[in-house]
Amino acid sequence: MDFMIRAATPEDCKDISRMIMELAVYENMPDQVKISHEVLEQDGFCKNPFFHCLVAEVAEQYRTTEGYTVIGYALFFYTYSTWKGRSVYMEDLYVMPEFRGEFPGKGVGTALMSKVAQVGKEQQCVRLQFSVLNWNTPSLDFYKAKGAQDLTDSEGWHVLRFDGEALDKLAQMAPKN
Amino acid sequence: MANFILRKAEPRDVPDILRLIKELAKFEEMEEQVVLTETELLQDGFGEQPFYHCIMAEVPEDRRSSDGHTVVGFAMYYFTYDPWIGKMLYLEDFYVMKEYRGMAVHTQYIHSTAVKSRCSGMHFIVAEWNKPSIDFYKRRGASDLSHEEGWRLFEIDKEYLLKMSAK
Repeated sequence: MDFMIRAATPEDCKDISRMIMELAVYENMPDQVKISHEVLEQDGFCKNPFFHCLVAEVAEQYRTTEGYTVIGYALFFYTYSTWKGRSVYMEDLYVMPEFRGEFPGKGVGTALMSKVAQVGKEQQCVRLQFSVLNWNTPSLDFYKAKGAQDLTDSEGWHVLRFDGEALDKLAQMAPKN
Repeated sequence: MANFILRKAEPRDVPDILRLIKELAKFEEMEEQVVLTETELLQDGFGEQPFYHCIMAEVPEDRRSSDGHTVVGFAMYYFTYDPWIGKMLYLEDFYVMKEYRGMAVHTQYIHSTAVKSRCSGMHFIVAEWNKPSIDFYKRRGASDLSHEEGWRLFEIDKEYLLKMSAK
């Protein structure tokens, strides 16, 4: 095998940060990335980490022109369903373009995702959830081929968010007790 | 005297949490989907690394429900992560028994969870047929990301999870 999947270390945060930005560029939202690799180090490697990460690393001879050997990552965390219990949520799955498809020992994305599934199963999780943008056809196809169901379609779920000013306003109305 | 108080859940609240989860599931017409047990709730919420946090709404004794409950609502949340902005709070479930609505318990929950966690944002999902809830959240400034940005929620269930992890 020409690549391996392993748990991320604090030293990997620079590479993870780089790839987070690459993924944001692909999703047409690069200006939305506000955190640095230092924040990732703090939040991912503290006592009760806020996320977990797996990285895909290739052998030296496959390193990129800029010298990178860490060429993919999956960032995930545990969530909870009041109906079914422990779940795993895969927040990001990314493989650098030159390592997709035809790359020797191909299937980096599949390997990363399978490892997330395995880690989840070890923690007794009953399901793996993630979100995909509706225009992202390559990803939609990739996931559907693995048996993923689109719950927005089948059950009508919408993702809502409070942030920035709306969150501040909300927080200001909290009871004092 | 206050109509109700909000407090952090304790292990002894687990039976009430499950009762209220089932009531909410009944409202969403999915009661038979609740397979979670009190044992799991206890392990998962009060172990070394909790999978969830819970806030309970409790009324004084003289306002207890017809079937004798003083715990009349709950909000369950956990922390998630946005690789672009960092720590997030995710509001999983949020419910008040019918006879105790209108006291702004719902509103207080959201405020309470938002202020305690110093997170950059709060996410949650709502079924698109649940118009009263969608209006409630939008009035308070929530944005519908499925509409605005095109996000679709996906799930891989147990059967396929097993297949994938066996590779």
